[in-house]
Amino acid sequence: MALLELKQVTKVYQVGTVAVHALRGIDLMVEKNEYVSVMGPSGSGKSTLMNVIGCLDTPTSGTYILDGKTVHDDRIEQSSVGKLSDDDLAFVRNQKIGFVFQTFNLLPRITALHNVELPLIYAGIHKKDRLDMAKEALRKVNLEDRMHHQPNELSGGQRQRVAIARALVNNPSIILADEPTGNLDSKTSREIMQLMDHLHDEGNTIILVTHETDIAQHAHRVVHFLDGLIASDEFTPKGKG
Amino acid sequence: MGQLFESVIMAIKAILQNKTRAFLTMLGIIIGILSVSLMGTAISGIDEVFENSIQGMGQDVLYVQKYPWFMMNDEWWEYRNRPDIEEKYAEQILERASTIAFATPSTGRRSDVKYGKNAVERVEINGTTWQEAYISALKLESGRFFSEPESRYGTRVAVIGYDIKTSLFPNEDPLGKEIIIQGNTFRIIGVIAQQGKFLGLMSMDNIVTIPLNSLKNIFGGRWGMSISVKPKEGVTVEQAKEELMFIMRGLRGLKPQEENNFSINQQEAFRQQFASIRMAISVVGIGITALSLIVGGIGIMNIMFVSVRERTKEIGIRKALGAKKNIILFQFLSEAVIISLIGGTIGILITVGLVGLLQKFFVARLSIDLIIISLSVSVITGILSGMVPANLAARLNPIEAIRYE
Repeated sequence: MALLELKQVTKVYQVGTVAVHALRGIDLMVEKNEYVSVMGPSGSGKSTLMNVIGCLDTPTSGTYILDGKTVHDDRIEQSSVGKLSDDDLAFVRNQKIGFVFQTFNLLPRITALHNVELPLIYAGIHKKDRLDMAKEALRKVNLEDRMHHQPNELSGGQRQRVAIARALVNNPSIILADEPTGNLDSKTSREIMQLMDHLHDEGNTIILVTHETDIAQHAHRVVHFLDGLIASDEFTPKGKG
Repeated sequence: MGQLFESVIMAIKAILQNKTRAFLTMLGIIIGILSVSLMGTAISGIDEVFENSIQGMGQDVLYVQKYPWFMMNDEWWEYRNRPDIEEKYAEQILERASTIAFATPSTGRRSDVKYGKNAVERVEINGTTWQEAYISALKLESGRFFSEPESRYGTRVAVIGYDIKTSLFPNEDPLGKEIIIQGNTFRIIGVIAQQGKFLGLMSMDNIVTIPLNSLKNIFGGRWGMSISVKPKEGVTVEQAKEELMFIMRGLRGLKPQEENNFSINQQEAFRQQFASIRMAISVVGIGITALSLIVGGIGIMNIMFVSVRERTKEIGIRKALGAKKNIILFQFLSEAVIISLIGGTIGILITVGLVGLLQKFFVARLSIDLIIISLSVSVITGILSGMVPANLAARLNPIEAIRYE
């Protein structure tokens, strides 16, 4: 069974009187430990897809199953099963999703360690275990020595590594990285991508949104979006090999 | 637990980041709690002064008098035609009653009182009998009350109030000294302990008490009396009042269908009158001061809206990481409550200081109850004014919130 399964997923936004069809019926399966890049011009629906996969948003119609859990299924009438509440979605995000954003999205004025702790706090994990897990995650991204620094005392690359540690810390089913190198110079970008590759080697499932072809080539599979539909879905040389 | 703790910590950090703003917001609550607790203090001060001053009347004393203590303006004309209360009723009541221990007539006149070069003008001169000492709960500061023989023979002796003592005898012991009332010499045998005033009512501090017979001698004439009556031990005031009513109707020769042409007054009437005044003061006073608290609450609400807006992105991030609605709600609610509670505490502390200062001028009491009530009120104000902004924060859409700059 696939780790992630989307069937005929659509998303329609109402902008004023105009209905915007952001997703027009997406079928996508991602297996465990896959490394997938999502590409496409702006407005192609890739951000909407990420929001749906990340349980920040729910589809207008279709079925979404993540790690055996039905997040959305409009064939099921009972709302309790077929459509999750906001708090249920928050729970799924907390347990199964690790987000890496283009703008890092760390909380200012708290330490790197505290930032990494946040998902564990919301998971209700005890303080002692929490600290151990957060330190371990920071160790994985080589930032142990900076854990008591606040985000404004860290470089862009370091901030993104804190964000990656935060995404990893709750052992998510899937890591969603939305333009993770978009705000970084090319040298730092390479370091971050090396880290992503390493995480994949360790068994993590990664979905990466990018518009840079060379970044996309780090993945084993590239999905191209156009006008709310999947235009192509191909393995990269890495994936074939 | 960890989540709630995290929320409170973040709320405190948020306040510390904007100390000036938080303080200005608190100012509204400080002023609100200050005025509410000062008003509460003033009301309990009034209560205490009232209790002190009616104590002199004796808890269970009944007064047979021509007029009731409380009446409408137009009723006065009706009561005016009643016959006067006569001195002899006191003895007659004692002879007939089984429930009454003491009964004494008393009446008063105003006169200047002199001692050497010192004089007090228009002092209430109260004439009564030795029984008064057993009827009223007066405490003597020094000396004694007059005896039965002194009372009977109209000896020229006087018991003076505290204010009279301080006016006439600033530097000496008044006992044994002679004062002049209406050109007659009276020897001071006792001083009544200081009692305090209540709205100028019933203060014994400014009174000179002398035997009724000597009062009649020096002033002459006939007056209506007031008969003070004390029930026996183990008899309720109501039982005594009932018998007293019966005896008085007999003395007056009233037929069953006729109304009483006298009044039996008791402390209870004062208490009731006071209760209604106090209620009016409380409702109006607390009402007006509560307005300032409401203004303070609106200030918090306003600043919480700003806080939610400023931290929209933070809310988005927290939601993306799995924070549920109630946790976000709790975080902002704690911020509002902490601001309000700190404000309330400062308000209370200022009140404590001010009450200490005020006590030099009049009776003011700050009770533990009042402190607890004030703190609860500030917590409730925080919750009420934080509810709407916190709810707004909790309902934010994470996608939009996280993009907010």
